[in-house]
Amino acid sequence: MSAARFVTLGLIILAACSFSLAQSPSSSLPQVHLDADGLGPRAIEELTGTTIAKNYAKAWHNLALALDSSRSGELGEEFTGFAKDRLVKRIGDQQQTGIHVHIVDHGHRLKAIFYATDGTVMQLVDEAQLEMQTFDGEKLIDTQSAPRQYMVLMTPGADRWYVRDLEEVSVPSK
Amino acid sequence: MSLLAVCAFSTWGFAGEIHAPANVQAGHAFSIPLEGSGQATFYLIGPDHVVKRSVNLGSDLQIEARDVRAAGHYQMILCDASCTSTNFEVKAASGAHLSFFLHPSRVPVSTPNSIDATAFVFDRFFNLVLTPTVVDFQITPATGTGFSRQNSTRDGVTWLRLDSTPHEGRVQVTAGLNGGAGNNAAGNVEEARVIQQVAAEACALRMKVEQSGNTVTLETDPVRDCSGNALPDGTIVSFTKVDQAGRSTVDTPIKKGVARTQFSVTGSARISIACGVVLGNEVALNGRSGGKS
Repeated sequence: MSAARFVTLGLIILAACSFSLAQSPSSSLPQVHLDADGLGPRAIEELTGTTIAKNYAKAWHNLALALDSSRSGELGEEFTGFAKDRLVKRIGDQQQTGIHVHIVDHGHRLKAIFYATDGTVMQLVDEAQLEMQTFDGEKLIDTQSAPRQYMVLMTPGADRWYVRDLEEVSVPSK
Repeated sequence: MSLLAVCAFSTWGFAGEIHAPANVQAGHAFSIPLEGSGQATFYLIGPDHVVKRSVNLGSDLQIEARDVRAAGHYQMILCDASCTSTNFEVKAASGAHLSFFLHPSRVPVSTPNSIDATAFVFDRFFNLVLTPTVVDFQITPATGTGFSRQNSTRDGVTWLRLDSTPHEGRVQVTAGLNGGAGNNAAGNVEEARVIQQVAAEACALRMKVEQSGNTVTLETDPVRDCSGNALPDGTIVSFTKVDQAGRSTVDTPIKKGVARTQFSVTGSARISIACGVVLGNEVALNGRSGGKS
């Protein structure tokens, strides 16, 4: 093998590793487990359950990127309505103040609690395990890792389920 | 050097803990005491808002109503040489908006549990109101007497199933929040939706026969459902003839309340009629001109 071919092969291997390293963190979605037992008044279809879990995981993945980079464009297509309006405003404020938030996402347990008979809206409760690190510029000013609970409204679109409302609520004491 | 240190401390001061109220209602201003002396940087991070400003320790910090309009979890952080933080929750104010769905848009008359009404209650900042709120559903048919139902929300939503009434026409369903005492509503709020009730399946479907030579003319009585509502023009009625030539079916739409068609018959024949899932009477023709049984 000539030296030039050896160098070329080395560069190809290096590029492949860089790609997988670069891709891995941004392409890994948080774990979402959806429990739809006893859901009413409409029963959930299997494909709908799978799609909701996938879209909700993508929504949190995008949300983490957006809050960390303070770029609302990172929110992607998963949010709509009040949820999107609020997050865009919050991220705009983050940009102005120099704040950013890094989320370490340890997963979500989604419990579907209401599914309208015409299939136009689903309400869910998310028990999330998140670590949130708040930075002012490069300075870490707060870290929180308590369990969090969110009330979620999702509505169907042409090819996905959108997060239309996302409100954090107090975790009930056990 | 020591003078510089004193100056630095007097500028950045000593911040104590910050104590937030346990719960705050959306859009309500409040103040918190800031312990310590000197200056510090204050951060308020909420679902739709981030505030960062310099504050004087040892005084009260005013949180404006506009800073806490979104329901959810808020962080307050106070930093001088080090940082201290606390959390509080903003809860939705009383109900001021309804998001109301009525399904389907058309429904057959006299059908049990055929209408679904769903209402979400939001406050004036469009936060979902999670505390139970009574929603009044008022059902007003075009003819006949209306009725009402009350349902309390659970986690911000309430729904109910209704029977359609016996008469065709528009039915208005209004969801309302009553701002009276005891209900978690900011005032009287109403959202109206309309559905169209249409005739149900045909009932007592009958046809008349007029025979002239080999030609038979068939015409139904006015086609109505069991509540007496006329089936709409365009509804398909099927006439089926079985004679020596074989089996033949003609689908014809109702026009001006009745369906009409003609057949040529060979010998004796049996003719039946159907509309949707409903069968009507059957007529036997004995093959002689004008004869039927």
